[in-house]
Amino acid sequence: MKKIAIQLAALVFALVLGSAMLDLDPAPVDLRPAVAAHLEASGVAHPVTAVLLNYRGYDTLLEVAVLLLALFAILAVIPDSQTGRPTPAAPVLQTLARLAVPLMLVTATFLLWAGAFRPGGAFQAGSVLAAALVLLHLTGLLAGWPQPGARLRWGLAAGFLVFLAVAAALLLQGHLLQYPPAWAGLLILCIEFALTLSLGLLLAGLFLFLSRDTEGAP
Amino acid sequence: MTEALLDPLPGLILLPLAWGIAAFLLGPGRGAAPAIVTLSLQFLFCLQLTHQVLADGPATHPVGGWGAPLGIDLMADGLATAMLLLTQAVALPLAVYARAYFRPGAPEARHFWPLFGLLLAGLNGLFLSADLFNVYVTLELVGLAAVGLVAMGGGAGQIAAALRYLFATLLGSGAYLLGVALIYGSYGSVSITTLEPLVAAHAPTLVGLAGGLMLLGLMLKTALFPFHFWLPPAHGGAAAPVSALLSALVVKASFYLILRLWLGPLAPLSALHPLLPWLPALLGTAAIFWGSWKAIRALRLKMMIAYSTVAQLGYLFLIFPLLGALGGLQAGIMQAFAHGLAKAAMFAAAGVLIKATGQDTIAGLAGAAQKLPLTLFAFGLAGVTLMGLPPSAGFLAKWQLIEAALGQDCWLIALVALAGGLLAAVYVFRVLRQAFLLTAPESSLQPVPRSLEWAAFALASASVLLGLRGVELMQLLHVGWAG
Repeated sequence: MKKIAIQLAALVFALVLGSAMLDLDPAPVDLRPAVAAHLEASGVAHPVTAVLLNYRGYDTLLEVAVLLLALFAILAVIPDSQTGRPTPAAPVLQTLARLAVPLMLVTATFLLWAGAFRPGGAFQAGSVLAAALVLLHLTGLLAGWPQPGARLRWGLAAGFLVFLAVAAALLLQGHLLQYPPAWAGLLILCIEFALTLSLGLLLAGLFLFLSRDTEGAP
Repeated sequence: MTEALLDPLPGLILLPLAWGIAAFLLGPGRGAAPAIVTLSLQFLFCLQLTHQVLADGPATHPVGGWGAPLGIDLMADGLATAMLLLTQAVALPLAVYARAYFRPGAPEARHFWPLFGLLLAGLNGLFLSADLFNVYVTLELVGLAAVGLVAMGGGAGQIAAALRYLFATLLGSGAYLLGVALIYGSYGSVSITTLEPLVAAHAPTLVGLAGGLMLLGLMLKTALFPFHFWLPPAHGGAAAPVSALLSALVVKASFYLILRLWLGPLAPLSALHPLLPWLPALLGTAAIFWGSWKAIRALRLKMMIAYSTVAQLGYLFLIFPLLGALGGLQAGIMQAFAHGLAKAAMFAAAGVLIKATGQDTIAGLAGAAQKLPLTLFAFGLAGVTLMGLPPSAGFLAKWQLIEAALGQDCWLIALVALAGGLLAAVYVFRVLRQAFLLTAPESSLQPVPRSLEWAAFALASASVLLGLRGVELMQLLHVGWAG
């Protein structure tokens, strides 16, 4: 009975939402011309990257902090017990993983570089890096991670640190995250590079810190 | 060149981000000293901002130098500045408290300082934001940090409370985000200042739906009755410094947003029907009675304080029918200050009592007053504020609420406020009566660090003394008041 009521309510909500969306007028504010007009000064040639790293770069800075926060929350919960290597997968899978990982690294580098003028960028490149690490873990080639040591902590935080340092340094000559047009391209590339590495570790960490398989377990 | 570094608007966001991440890099359990030093700096920034806002009106800072609607603006009017002031004023003593509370190397406190830093960055960013989507990002920061703090240590009860809290807070921010998406679809902008005239000029049904979704999502995050189900286990089960932070600050953040939307972009919608503002007031009334009743019946000390939070949040929603005049807003913000300081003090005092007696029931507090007079004094002072006795800030808040209610012929609200004060007296005196019982001298208590007691006392006395200096705070709320 309760289930039916909930389903009915969801259906009614969807219908109301759908019907209200149907008589939507064109929006009075259109930001696309403004995005295109300032593209020259933004330091990148792709409008999505310009919005993410320049016009609304402050949102992205805080989004990276949200990802770090998710990791802190996981680290605060997991016990100190040792992590072990998962059961090694079949040799064929291991060979395939060894073949795939270099290709994934190349793909990640390409995505990072492509972000300046076509869809791509640090988040996409970082996810491919993370996927490579998870693949290595699932095939038994990389152990799950215990509580991170100093080196891993710096690696996880590096992207955010570079972003934060650039944001604060730019404050000196104007506003928070206000790139001078001449330097915008270089600064954004630095941030994206550091972010790719850290996001790769971070996203992989969300998986590997929680992996508690021990040797010999089924 | 150097004055750019002293601009409080970006400073209040960058500083907590910096010490939060520094604490992570320093390693598990470390980072208390940089946190306390930087928090003092943040507090000074806040005082400077207050001065600046009182002298020159609302302060803005266009991030990226683009300006809304292409970029994101930071904006501090009187309301935002007041909330920033409350946040730093509660966080600084709690940082001193937490430093003494967590034993060095305690597993439950490994990641307290990084989570605390990012929580404060989220709160400050939320109060300063003038952009609906940016507000969503800060809401996520605040929500995830709060869930992480509740889950710290990883006990089964804590994980269960944290998960329940996570689902509630995700549902709340999901509803808010859906509303933002609908508003962006209707107007093509998420900047609050750009939206205000647009909504006033033309608001299709979809915008009404969006506004409803955003407000409902935020009410869930504020734990307004009947959405309070997640609050008592989360606030009652966490470590004492965490409970204090959550009850004093985190729930106030979503309340601030409701207020900001209600008075700002959604004002044309809230004026559609004269009974609409009575809906939050009705839920607030129910919260006061239900929360107080559960607090009176609670067996565990921290559960009693958590249910008292449910009740005290109710007062915040009583002001909605009175928002036609500045007095209503002043009453609400004074209540947010009174409850924020007093509840932080009460949880801090409860933490001392629990550490000293080694248990968490109200019945087990017998004789505590003889051994820990300072802590019980702090608890009593915080209770004075919650009951609304003079000269506390709680008294001032209730006085203003009743004055605003009678001024606008809403005597029902005045009656609810008076009844709530009596109920608060019942649950506060239940604890004090038990603690002042005389027991045999051999009953032993664990020794506790003195700084714990003094931090609780500082917060409690601030909640009382603010009642004497309320005029300055009220003055601040004039800045940026449109109605």
